[in-house]
Amino acid sequence: MKAIVRNLVGQIRQINRKYAQPEIKMTPFVKLCLLSLRLYLLLLVGLMIVKFILAARS
Amino acid sequence: MDIETTGILAAPLKVPKDRGMNIAAKSFFAFRRFAKALRLFFIIAGPGIIVMVADNDAGGITTYTVTGAQYGLHLLWFLILLGPVAYYVQEMTVRLGAVTKRGHAEAIFASFGRFWGWFSLLDLVLTDWLTMITEFIGMTAAMSIFHIPPVITVMCCWLIMGSMIMSGRYWTWEKITLLFCVLNLIYIPAAFLMHPSVKDILYGSFVPHLPPGGLTAGLFFMLMANIGTTIAPWMLFFQQSSVVDKGLKEKDIRFGKVDTLIGAVLTVVVAVVLIIVCGQLLYGQPVNDAAQAATMIMPRSRFIGVCFAVGLFDAGLLGAVCISLASSWAFGEIFGWAHSLNQKVKEAPWFYAYYFFDLLLAGTVVLIPKAPLVLITLFVQVIATTLLPAALVFLILLLNDQKTMGKYVNTRWENIANITIVVAVVVTSTLYAVSAIFPNMFQ
Repeated sequence: MKAIVRNLVGQIRQINRKYAQPEIKMTPFVKLCLLSLRLYLLLLVGLMIVKFILAARS
Repeated sequence: MDIETTGILAAPLKVPKDRGMNIAAKSFFAFRRFAKALRLFFIIAGPGIIVMVADNDAGGITTYTVTGAQYGLHLLWFLILLGPVAYYVQEMTVRLGAVTKRGHAEAIFASFGRFWGWFSLLDLVLTDWLTMITEFIGMTAAMSIFHIPPVITVMCCWLIMGSMIMSGRYWTWEKITLLFCVLNLIYIPAAFLMHPSVKDILYGSFVPHLPPGGLTAGLFFMLMANIGTTIAPWMLFFQQSSVVDKGLKEKDIRFGKVDTLIGAVLTVVVAVVLIIVCGQLLYGQPVNDAAQAATMIMPRSRFIGVCFAVGLFDAGLLGAVCISLASSWAFGEIFGWAHSLNQKVKEAPWFYAYYFFDLLLAGTVVLIPKAPLVLITLFVQVIATTLLPAALVFLILLLNDQKTMGKYVNTRWENIANITIVVAVVVTSTLYAVSAIFPNMFQ
């Protein structure tokens, strides 16, 4: 079991190294799109947390 | 089988440019050219038709059923509008797959880096698994109409889905899946049996209008649900990986687009037919899902009821197979496992192991007594919405990257169409998710 977990962690590290640098040209438009996506996801996650808190209270 | 080995592409047919050539000879060469193109199309076609027909999965069938029962034929025009939307989005994955030879997950990792890569992969895995549970819910509900217990249905599904991919040949899997796609058209004879009013269908289809009562919160929710069913994140991942696994090249893009177009037409036809049947038989009655609709239709027409139940089962099966494959391909691409349907189980053990693991896990959840299936269905909508905008934005950015796409980069008109669609889908799917989280928000 330990060996499997170690192997998996090793693989994930290798993937992280392989894809460390984005290949796409980071134009201002691309940067703006990615920033908007981050904000959008934060908003959705925030909404889900609010819903969870409301559900837990009731 | 590689497309190159078929010999069709080996020697281009030369048409003599003799001005004196008579009409019969010209017609003969035109026919031969057409026959050759048709043969080539049949070789290349598959991913587009499969993904589009599988788009009408158990959840989709339920959405169309409820739409028809609540609003009759009044929203047919909206469903028809969604056909081009699905086509434009999916067509981009054909180009991206054929040009980069990468699946969607790998394309995101490589182009946008590890953060967005892991986000997309993990979100896809979660969304796919939850959606698969809804497919199993649909299949067990459909078979329960024939008094088949859920345990038997789930075990039969595992058997069918397992045997579909065990051949170690992509083409065998594709042909079997296309047979299931044909079965998805079972609703069409049912619609003809209803003898619906052609005038009403034409009016509902081509004259955009709102149902009696105007724009209510319920109608808004239903429109958003229909959009959510038409474009799903797994479809992008599935078609691109499928295009890569099949070995399509840049020169095949033209046929890949036709394949996607035919699929989009089929998906709209099935949706329209379902709405016609439910709009005729169940209009104004409270319907919650497709299995309930089939049960309600049975006393009025056993044949149509049976068509409904069989169609629902088939839709769930197609959806589950494609969704599970989408995840397996994505994992294989990123973890570097062998991940092709052209490889046997021994050659790609992890790819097949993940496929079966996904199926077993989703099927087992349905069999757990008192499992929160309604909550799961709701959760699918919300989680899918977190992935869909990201996947669509990545798609647009990749299709505009000259370095990645070369001459297959989006044209200005394609960008206008696609960006409009993506913005509309992002806004509506977000509202859909918000209304799923807070049901009273739009009341």
